[in-house]
Amino acid sequence: MALLLQILVNGVLLGGLYALMALGLALVWGVLNIVNLAHGAFIMLGAYVSFYLFTLLQVDPFAALPLCMLSLFCFGYLLQRHVLNLIVRAPMFNTLLLTFGLDVVLMYLAQIVFSADFRVVNPSYAGANFSVAGATIPLVRAVAFAVALTLTLAVWLVLVHTRLGRAVRACAQNLVAARLYGVEPRTVYALTFGLGAALAGAAGDLYGVVSQISPYIGDALTAKSFAISIIGGLENPLGVVIGGLFLGILESLTSLYVGPTYTDVASFGVLVLVLILRPKGLLGRAA
Amino acid sequence: MKRLLYSMIAAFALATPALAEQTITLGASVQETGRLANTGRYYRDSYEFAVQKINERGGVKVGSEHYRLALKILDNQSDTNLSVRQYTQLLTQDKVNFLLGPFASDFALADSSVAEKYEVPMIEGGGASDQIFSRGYQYIFGTLPIASKYFESTVEVLAKLDPAPKTVALLYADDAFDVAVAKGTREQLQAGGFKITQDERYSSNTSDFSSLISQIKASASDVVLVAGHETEVLNFIRQSKSLDYSPKLYAFTVGVPTADFRGALGHDANFAFGMTSWLPSASLKDDYFSNAEVFAADYKKQYGYDPDYHAASAVADVEAFVKAIEAAGTLEPKKVREAIAKVDFESLYGRIQFNATGQINLPQTVIQVQNDSVVPIYGQKGFLAKPRYPMPAWDRR
Repeated sequence: MALLLQILVNGVLLGGLYALMALGLALVWGVLNIVNLAHGAFIMLGAYVSFYLFTLLQVDPFAALPLCMLSLFCFGYLLQRHVLNLIVRAPMFNTLLLTFGLDVVLMYLAQIVFSADFRVVNPSYAGANFSVAGATIPLVRAVAFAVALTLTLAVWLVLVHTRLGRAVRACAQNLVAARLYGVEPRTVYALTFGLGAALAGAAGDLYGVVSQISPYIGDALTAKSFAISIIGGLENPLGVVIGGLFLGILESLTSLYVGPTYTDVASFGVLVLVLILRPKGLLGRAA
Repeated sequence: MKRLLYSMIAAFALATPALAEQTITLGASVQETGRLANTGRYYRDSYEFAVQKINERGGVKVGSEHYRLALKILDNQSDTNLSVRQYTQLLTQDKVNFLLGPFASDFALADSSVAEKYEVPMIEGGGASDQIFSRGYQYIFGTLPIASKYFESTVEVLAKLDPAPKTVALLYADDAFDVAVAKGTREQLQAGGFKITQDERYSSNTSDFSSLISQIKASASDVVLVAGHETEVLNFIRQSKSLDYSPKLYAFTVGVPTADFRGALGHDANFAFGMTSWLPSASLKDDYFSNAEVFAADYKKQYGYDPDYHAASAVADVEAFVKAIEAAGTLEPKKVREAIAKVDFESLYGRIQFNATGQINLPQTVIQVQNDSVVPIYGQKGFLAKPRYPMPAWDRR
């Protein structure tokens, strides 16, 4: 029983990080209709920003969070404005090709600039933990979980309650009507993409504290974020949180009851099931 | 004026044959980029370094003629399929004479089939899985220790510790090499009378070990043996710490000997056991590099990082070709293949002599990180230093 509790705790904490990773991808996908295959590469860049801030300037990774987000926001904003905007009206296939190319370019540039060595952001408290009801909770993961939930909530509040958020949702729902009401889609798109990249930066910052950074971590993270976005649905950030938690718990339980070699089988198997049974995601309204 | 021009042309024409010396080209496809680039660089740099040194020492003597060594390296981007295509290209288009290997067992497993098909010998120092050598192939030779024996010396150490550990958890990644390691280790553990409490195969691209660690923690095993890749080993140790788990001993197939590993973990690297088939000792004499210690220093000077056993093994591959070609007295692949099977020489990596299946017999030295540096613990002749055992809990370090 204690083991099961521990496994569930592990799953929930893992799921929080997953949710944050997927949030940016789902946002960009939902609003711009771009599946950003370079999303994992953005997470990787965020992780390197945090790594260099930590090793060169001794900035604590949690204090570096706003900086990681800001730098990735600028990167994403400029990228959308000057590169992706060229194909925003093109068929989905073109956007896939472009972001795939971007992913490859970023990955190899990262290897040239940062080398293929494994990097670790290892603050003195990285291994700290505390116990609740017999379950060991790693401090860093717990904080990362809290940060992930806070950011998700913030994104949700922005989308629902601010003028910008309404403009973003309007563009996603009906572009013509949004334009008639004076929304400038170019700006909205660039801001949304920037926000997506900023969330990837935040995820990268936290990822560096719990795992290793190398130029090649991106692809696996893109795949995972993709699965979570599908499972959770694109309509609402809370769906992504549910998707992330669901996947985290599912993987932990699979590891316990079936075997750790089958975690990917389980998560992508569920992806296929969701696509068949609830194509709009677990929280999505049926079409 | 015209006469001068003619004489210059004539002089140039006479000079060229000396420039265009005859060459023997060794071809390889290695991981210069992609997820394995971190280890792939040892092979690229060592092949290059060995070729450079051998040419400085006069190249290769084939019969009465002198040849220079040349190298053709392609980047397989850590992609097995691309690697197979590149080895085919090396033989069919680039017409290289002989093949050096890639890094990692899955690559060597696939690529050795190309060597076998075209009947051109390949000597590889990057793949240790028994599977590579159990298919009756004639043209593949390997200079890493046999995968199934990786943990053999570690299991010997386990039996000699006080208080003796009884229960062992065995974790391994689901690729050709680590599955082979686990198969051999399982048999050695059973023969040694240990109880295997956990025998878990995990997915190679996993980065989350928290559930697995929780399970081992619950089973309270004395010893944890992990056969995986460096990034997984780093994750395992960091997540063990954050879940407050420390067994009496843990040992890993890879990572521990590298500087990268200690750099990433800092003090948390302490107490980890590992293994290496090579230590840069002055007692390992070499015809081209004088000895292993000199080699390690020169390598560091030229490439800016410390060599490990991957690098030494790669150098031995190039040297084995030189010795075999000189012994055969011809570049004919079949004859050179016969000569490789018969080589027996001392190198900076150790004694190179291939057995019937094409592997060499090289025992692993057990090492442990103590006070932030790697200490050899147990070799062929017994204990070399006192192991730190049992490992203290994380909060008592």
